[in-house]
Amino acid sequence: MVLYNAPTNKMHVDEIVDAHVLVVGSGGAGVRAAIEASRYGGVVMVSKTIAGKGGCTTMAEGGYNAVLRDRDSIQVHREDTLKGGAYLNDPALVDALVTEAPERMADLVRWGAVFDVTEDRMVAQRPFGGQRFPRTCYAGDRTGHEMIMTLLDRLDATDTHLYQEVSVVDLVKDENGAVAGAIALDRDGNVILFRSDATVLATGGGTQVYDISTNSAAGTGDGFAMAYRAGAELIDMEMVQFHPTGAVYPYDARGRLVTEAVRGEGGILLNARRERFMERYDPERMELSTRDVVARAIATEVLEGRGTSRGGVYLDVTHLSAETIESRLPVMLEQFLAYGVDIRREPMEVAPTAHHIMGGVRITPECRTTLPGLFACGEVAGGVHGANRLGGNALAETQVFGKRAGEFAGKAPARSGRIDDAAIDERLRMLDGFFEGTVNPADVRKDLKLTMWNQAGIFRNAADLRAALEQIRRLADQRLRAASTANLLECCTVRNMCTTASLIVRCALLRPENRGAHVRRDAGVLTDPATSPFGHTYISLAREGIERREVAA
Amino acid sequence: MKSVTLRISRFDPARDTEPHFEEYTVRVNEGARVLHALHAVRDEHDPTLTYRYCCGSGQCGSCAVRVDGKPVLACMEEARDGMTVEPLDLPVLKDLMVDLEPVIAKIARICPAPDAGLPAREEIEAIKPLRDCIECLCCVSACPALQVTDFAGPTVLRQEMRLALDPRDSGDRITDAIEKGLFYCTTCKRCTEVCPKEIDIPGKAIEKLREIANRRGLTLPRHQEVARLIQETGRSVERTQPTFLEQVPEVIEPDGPVRGEVGFFVGCMFNGRVPQTALDAMEVLKRNGIRVIVPHDQVCCGSPLIRTGQTSFVEDLKKKNIEAFARRGIKTVMTICAGCGATLKNDYETPFEVKDVTEVLTEYGIEPPAKLDITATYHDPCHLLRGQGIREQPRTLLREAVREFVEMPSQCCGAGGGVRSGVPEEAKALGAKRDEAVRATGADVVVTVCPFCEFHIADCTDVPVKNLVTILLEGYRKKDAEREGGA
Repeated sequence: MVLYNAPTNKMHVDEIVDAHVLVVGSGGAGVRAAIEASRYGGVVMVSKTIAGKGGCTTMAEGGYNAVLRDRDSIQVHREDTLKGGAYLNDPALVDALVTEAPERMADLVRWGAVFDVTEDRMVAQRPFGGQRFPRTCYAGDRTGHEMIMTLLDRLDATDTHLYQEVSVVDLVKDENGAVAGAIALDRDGNVILFRSDATVLATGGGTQVYDISTNSAAGTGDGFAMAYRAGAELIDMEMVQFHPTGAVYPYDARGRLVTEAVRGEGGILLNARRERFMERYDPERMELSTRDVVARAIATEVLEGRGTSRGGVYLDVTHLSAETIESRLPVMLEQFLAYGVDIRREPMEVAPTAHHIMGGVRITPECRTTLPGLFACGEVAGGVHGANRLGGNALAETQVFGKRAGEFAGKAPARSGRIDDAAIDERLRMLDGFFEGTVNPADVRKDLKLTMWNQAGIFRNAADLRAALEQIRRLADQRLRAASTANLLECCTVRNMCTTASLIVRCALLRPENRGAHVRRDAGVLTDPATSPFGHTYISLAREGIERREVAA
Repeated sequence: MKSVTLRISRFDPARDTEPHFEEYTVRVNEGARVLHALHAVRDEHDPTLTYRYCCGSGQCGSCAVRVDGKPVLACMEEARDGMTVEPLDLPVLKDLMVDLEPVIAKIARICPAPDAGLPAREEIEAIKPLRDCIECLCCVSACPALQVTDFAGPTVLRQEMRLALDPRDSGDRITDAIEKGLFYCTTCKRCTEVCPKEIDIPGKAIEKLREIANRRGLTLPRHQEVARLIQETGRSVERTQPTFLEQVPEVIEPDGPVRGEVGFFVGCMFNGRVPQTALDAMEVLKRNGIRVIVPHDQVCCGSPLIRTGQTSFVEDLKKKNIEAFARRGIKTVMTICAGCGATLKNDYETPFEVKDVTEVLTEYGIEPPAKLDITATYHDPCHLLRGQGIREQPRTLLREAVREFVEMPSQCCGAGGGVRSGVPEEAKALGAKRDEAVRATGADVVVTVCPFCEFHIADCTDVPVKNLVTILLEGYRKKDAEREGGA
């Protein structure tokens, strides 16, 4: 066994772990993938947090879309998803999503999930934006938490080996160019090399690259960056969903998610003049329009001077009964009470917040990426949601594609190629380099987040995007400093954030049209989503561009 | 922006043998949480400061720490100038990061039956209050039973009940719960007090699990004896001396003009074991113009049964008690036992208001007693402090009655929840901790307002333990003696 400990290196591989399937990430998609892959044996799951405490599934409040009623149909869910996604979605992925979401919901119920149920013993559903049928299943406003607790119960019944508070730094490839595992740091900064036949990337999203974000601290885009560096192709990275309703104050809690369930349960939006302004933007669907439309409406109200003094608008549920608020929105009630606002009596103040990255690693319906040996599922994968995600489709996505990734990774053949030692040495040298660095990663992180918010946010133009890209490159060139081995991770994270941010901005420059969540104030071409000649933007180490597509006249 | 100075417990196992405090001053935004102050320390002072956090919105349970001794979520608790931040009372890995995994590993997983279907709405609604847990382990850090037993922890028992309520689960949750220490819980409700989701673990999990255990004949023998006694005599205490009720008329008129009227719920301990204290209370009320109506047909409130899960005839007791007071048109029922008071307030639906004696006395206002020339400390009965939310009233009264009042950190004495009778070694160990705390205050006397606490602490310390009403009465007697002496 060769331990990678060249004399010039202070860092070396402390432990080697072999697996058939390596799952990176412990959110809804990762755990579902591990559960499925465990049917084939030899599963190792690496979680950068304590499993169940990281990622965005745990925080997801509103719900899970699934067609469960006779009056609803898979076809309508499919159309809603495509229309909501401005027809940029990969139709094959959408088919998988809408067809299998009900089966995956049944799995959760069978495994013990405590979803709300109706009088006649069916999983209860609430209306969510952009959908013609109330098909969003929920567990109060802690739906994702319910799911993850259930999934961890189920995972515990498998022989999956779980590494908690271990963070993958980079993917590792073999001599044939196949992904062959990953190199990771534990809590103390020890290096672990995971070697696998198949690797499932389920690292979630990355809107922590924005100053105002709903994401947990773990949402730093590690998976996008690692896949890109390994040579995988990503698509539509410009498609960043700004959730319409994030908290506005106190300052440090700005961006915290105010669930769409608030509007689903009947909450209304009012500007500072107490006008129900959605009448001007989408009179038909009003507050339950798609998220891109509502977010832009709020941003426009604020930009045009009709916002509150804190730069938001009002979201009001005071017309609902206290009992409804307490039972359907308990997390919201509790969070706002902690900041001195009783939402039963006074309106919330909200403004858009970076929420979800629709783009991501290009996958097939079997969750295969463009790299052999690498599978991806959940938010790190692209193509399911197109240019705008419907609320409730992300939790469904974690289960449908988590299961698929786990299945096909599990079925993957044993890998034969030798691991590329030189690449591992290079990573170790990079880690060593952080001890010689001079710049506090916290400073780079802060600068990056502001740059992205100010120049690659809801409303974009080429000049801002180019300036942002230049600044990101400057930041990425900074020599980050690790104060201890435990701080190496923060350097790696900030490096990933810079990479993810640059992917977003580069793709934003590639798409000249307004489409879903992507709005170019300087758009040179006017397109209609259904007939746009543009397809996915794509980006990899090898190439970048935008696909053109034939659209029937 | 504002400036916040905080003390943080630092510990690096590679260098330190024990934790030490470091003080930092940072600038934070208005409304900043403890977590943001920690970020500021890390980013501006010491990048090696280690603490866990993730969601930043009270949903993941990563960031629990103790702020000024109380377990809180760092992301939800507002940062205060001068605060002290320590890790939870669990094995520390580094600085504020503790080892959560051993406790999380004890939290049971569901074992779904293969044919499990969707539960009915009522079943889901019953589970939900126990399902909000984010496994932050604030409750485990704060639970007194854990300090002296191998109790698995409040949230571990919460999960047993969550699973017991789920028709899909096929595990034997009662056997599990007993192994995990079902009978160690003193029902002190400290866990609920520190729970970010305010889950009533004692009421909604522990007592309910004990009920199921009871139906399976698994109640502790000592608890069964108490139940038998109540069933036979209506009282949880055997008659060894003339009872309070035998010594007083149905109506006790005050000395002077009538300022108020209360019905008096005496409780088994005051009726049968320490009737003198109840008689003292009557003297204090008489002196302060409060007419007391004492229905002689009242019985045990049922607390010893509810706390230990023996609820089969509790409804009868409730009915008798409610009728005894309602029939006499009583608007306010006074208790001087914290346990009875909490039971009447929380487990009954009464057509009358229930008030603790300290509430009655502070609301009416009392004639100032002469101050006793002693230093007194006060033990918060759990069923008064958390069961009834009463903290200030007894302190206000006590300050009027003694030369010096000194605070003592509040913690369960170990008597409650059937622990004194059922698990005496635990009660003794917790009592010993109270003794330490009492002695640390240097007080001449420990004052409390609960007969169970009084009895138990007296067993565990050499410092005299007295009920607050007795102290007040002694103050009045001293006042009278001084008057007579002066006259």
